[in-house]
Amino acid sequence: MKCAPFDYVRPAGVGEVVTTLRQAGGDGKILAGGQSLVPVMAMRMARPSVLVDVNRVPGLSSVETDGDAVRVGALARHALLQAQPDHPLLAEAASWIGHTAIRTRGTTGGSLAHADPSAELPVVAVATGATVSVAGPDGVRELDAAELFTGMMTTSLADDEMITSVRFPRPSRWGFAEFARRHGDFALVTAVVTEFGDELRVTLGGVSAAPMRAHAAEEVLAGGGSARDAARAASEEIEPTADLHGSVPFRRAMAAEMVRRALVRTGVEE
Amino acid sequence: MSGEPTTGSLGRSVRRKEDQRLVTGHGRFVTDLELPRMRHVAFLRSPVAHARITGVDTSEAVGTGVRVFTGADFADVELRAQSALPSYVETGQPVFAHGKVRFAGEPVAAVVAADRYRAEDGCELVEIDYDPLPPTVCAWEPPEEPVHAEAPDNVLLERTFTAGEVDETFAGAAVVVERDLVTNRHSGNPMECRAGVAVWDAADRRLTFWNGTQVPHIVRNMIAELMDLPEGNVRVIAPDVGGGFGVKAVLYPEDVALCLMARAMPGVPLKWTEDRAEHLLAATHARDHRYRMRAAFDGDGTLLGIDADVTCNVGAYSVYPWTAGIEPLMAGGLLSGPYRLAHYRATVRGVATNTAPSGPYRGVARPASVYAMEAMFDSAAARLGLDAVEIRRRNVIMPEDVPYKMPSRLVDDSGHYAECLDKALDLIDYPSVRAEQERRRAAGEAPIGIGVALYNELTGLGRAASAGPRMPFRTGHDACTVRINADGRVTVFSGVTSQGQGLETTVAQIVADGIGVTYDDVDVRIGDTDASLWGFGAFSSRQAVIGGGAAHRTAQAVQAKLLDLAAGLLEASVDDLRVVDGRISVVGEAEPRISVAEVARVAYLESHRLPEGIEPGLEATRFYDPIRGAFAAGAQVAAVEVDRTTGELTILSYVCVEDAGRAMHPQIVDGQIAGSIAQGIGGALYEHLVYDTDGNLSTGTLLDYLMPTSAEIPEMVIGHVSRPAANPLGVRGVGEGGTLGPNAVLAGAVHDALGIEIDTLPVSPSRVWEALHAQEVRA
Ligand SMILES: Cc1cc2nc3c(=O)[nH]c(=O)nc-3n(C[C@H](O)[C@H](O)[C@H](O)COP(=O)(O)OP(=O)(O)OC[C@H]3O[C@@H](n4cnc5c(N)ncnc54)[C@H](O)[C@@H]3O)c2cc1C
Repeated sequence: MKCAPFDYVRPAGVGEVVTTLRQAGGDGKILAGGQSLVPVMAMRMARPSVLVDVNRVPGLSSVETDGDAVRVGALARHALLQAQPDHPLLAEAASWIGHTAIRTRGTTGGSLAHADPSAELPVVAVATGATVSVAGPDGVRELDAAELFTGMMTTSLADDEMITSVRFPRPSRWGFAEFARRHGDFALVTAVVTEFGDELRVTLGGVSAAPMRAHAAEEVLAGGGSARDAARAASEEIEPTADLHGSVPFRRAMAAEMVRRALVRTGVEE
Repeated sequence: MSGEPTTGSLGRSVRRKEDQRLVTGHGRFVTDLELPRMRHVAFLRSPVAHARITGVDTSEAVGTGVRVFTGADFADVELRAQSALPSYVETGQPVFAHGKVRFAGEPVAAVVAADRYRAEDGCELVEIDYDPLPPTVCAWEPPEEPVHAEAPDNVLLERTFTAGEVDETFAGAAVVVERDLVTNRHSGNPMECRAGVAVWDAADRRLTFWNGTQVPHIVRNMIAELMDLPEGNVRVIAPDVGGGFGVKAVLYPEDVALCLMARAMPGVPLKWTEDRAEHLLAATHARDHRYRMRAAFDGDGTLLGIDADVTCNVGAYSVYPWTAGIEPLMAGGLLSGPYRLAHYRATVRGVATNTAPSGPYRGVARPASVYAMEAMFDSAAARLGLDAVEIRRRNVIMPEDVPYKMPSRLVDDSGHYAECLDKALDLIDYPSVRAEQERRRAAGEAPIGIGVALYNELTGLGRAASAGPRMPFRTGHDACTVRINADGRVTVFSGVTSQGQGLETTVAQIVADGIGVTYDDVDVRIGDTDASLWGFGAFSSRQAVIGGGAAHRTAQAVQAKLLDLAAGLLEASVDDLRVVDGRISVVGEAEPRISVAEVARVAYLESHRLPEGIEPGLEATRFYDPIRGAFAAGAQVAAVEVDRTTGELTILSYVCVEDAGRAMHPQIVDGQIAGSIAQGIGGALYEHLVYDTDGNLSTGTLLDYLMPTSAEIPEMVIGHVSRPAANPLGVRGVGEGGTLGPNAVLAGAVHDALGIEIDTLPVSPSRVWEALHAQEVRA
């Protein structure tokens, strides 16, 4: 459980990060909070030749209000998200991530780039239609969160790109519910309900390779259906897989229950 | 002759001796040890569960300058756990697998390098070729290919306990309950994993082995034997040890490998610190059992007979030195628990599989067997329309039944179960919990259930009841040496060991009161085989009774000499002397005449003042063996809320009442009970070591192996019944009892709340949900 050998660089700016990554030719890895990367390196499941420590890159650690959204720097720690008052959904979601020690180190950019299907922040990013700013050799591009997540722990980021910030729009109403074996565990299912204008969105984590919108459930709601009806629709449109923590029917039932709870918390009729 | 101490320390929660260093980060654990020229060891472990080894190539690794050891290096050394039981099939455990591997995680080689990183780099360069064999993972499925050639059916041991007329009893019973129960494999998982540092001094042919073990004297004895060394040339030191729970009461191949490699590299200290992944993979597991239970009752709920068939998955090796019998024999011996039972048949067997060896884990088998037994009462109560408490009352062993010969022929000397139960019911306010249950039922609110378990914990086993299945040694005794130094302060060299139980404190209390000096004047040294004469170590809740008994006897012997000497100096009769708080006085006089320090000075430095016939020095060594054991009674009751939508449990209140006999240090006693209940809850609800059908461990990190955190453990209410046991201090062991209840209590509570029987542990949300779902489908 010790890492294989690697080189270590600590650039002072985003440009240098990108250049270093490009020089590593696909073999470099950004080190942010290290809470996901270091364990897999210790298990030698990740063996980057160069570790690019971005923790000293200035200007990426804040959370700022930006119109009807908040802009979160890639290095903003989960603990900061939890403490900020401007985006209550983000604060709620962050409070479900791991434990204090993990929230003190883990970063927003790291969580999105790591793209764990059970992680909270990617679900919130999709649920709020967040915009991700990405720096690369050709400058900065912006993409929708939904375009970032391409599959199980995979993203559309190139090897020499770095997330610099994420803009999370603020929903007018929202509800969050999560089912995990212990508090702080990765979710078996996370359900996030967000209201933008008169549209209710239902987004699920933990039930597929990447966060997914439960469109059938959303249609039920758009047609005036109850929380229970929408929950049932959501549980039928997902394709969960059985694992140590439960069978497919159990996971469908948990998804339905979390959707129901998130909808009720949003204020939708049972 | 002995003084009645007015200010003794026993019975009070004095400040623990070890806390200053442990809570300020100054503990001295094996891993903290840094020695000149030290090198680090990484073990290469088998990635497959069962395979023939067809090739070993270390050349590439050796080419990078590291040292590599493989199976061929130590092929002549084998760990063979021995038992005289007739059905026992003796098998061997190699230091490094050679010929074949028997479980995924078994050490096959080791690399020694300048640091652990480089050692792991070296492991990647060692080539081992495996030719896979069909693995056996489940102990109740027939093997395609036996784990050991000596046991073609994988059965390493089988024994049937019988008493009375079982078949006739079942034929005439009003109610027969039948359930097949499966308990979940899990393990002790101490906060500190295993660790060792070994160094060989070639000039003197001496081995020093710092080892995070619960049993340093056993380790010394076995290492000396395995390495053919004079026992006096082996020194085992267990410094601070961060938890053990039985996992560290075993001698492992890694331990032996470290010592053998050290001998091959004279003067170079070799260090190994186990990481959590290795620990989950290769330290002993436990509790992977199946109980096929039948119980016969008469119409008013009296238990008439038990007919049981118990299979324990003992893993790939018969664990050294406890053997594959440790779990099955405990299950068969204690299955009937604290209940009167005349007709009993239990066939128990230990079956080898291609999984990590199972070994002793706090409570040994009884968390599972208590669950199996209590499940019988819960089901029978439901069938007969009896309250769960009432049916237990009708069957429990009472003080007037004691000494009660259990059907397994163990003798219960307690009988205080009903008293523990009554107190537990008071503490939880049983009538009001039942009323709340009714109210919720009527109102359609979240259901609650009440779970109950009674248990007898066999503690402090002496030579007549000694722990373990007829092994070539008896663990009934411990030694203690007590020395009053020339300044009147006391140093104790005790054979006990501590992994956090506060033995330094308890032993100091016993010795302080036994001599008549203050607690602060007593210093206790443990865990070094060069310093203390003998102690078997920590297991079977034995140390308070046995190590404590030895400390008490020795303190009294030293006090006797102290007073003889004082009597000579004071020209008084020894019978008139009292020693309290380090001062010696004559009965009837207001002021003490002389201090212990003044007497001690004479004993060592002023031989001209020594009375006639008294030798210099103030020291004694004594052994103690309680011959039998002391049963400790316990009762646990909990109220649990079940979320019908998710199957999650919320423990609303958890009460435990135990009979610790005389509680020498109440806070330590409560700490032991709380900690063991927490571990029991972990096993009941969360912890599960799962193998896939290929024999790969699916729960290889703490991401998947769910330990309870403080957030999952409820507030507990701990109550006491104090019925002194028949030993010098009146104590009963308390180290393990807490783990015995939670499986039964929590599964029972779910049964009580929802009417569903949980036959497979852990009681996970999905299991409860599936059972509820099946119930809905039936309805
Ligand atoms: C015990 C434990 C429990 C946890 N529980 C949870 C939980 O319940 N929910 C949850 O969501 N997470 C959980 N986590 C993970 C935690 O949230 C991580 O912090 C997060 O997933 C990754 O963030 P990081 O800053 O630590 O990233 P790192 O570990 O440093 O990096 C992760 C990956 O992202 C890449 N990366 C990092 N930053 C950037 C960037 N700016 N641009 C592009 N790529 C980047 C890295 O190269 C690496 O591939 C847990 C972790 C632990 C150890």
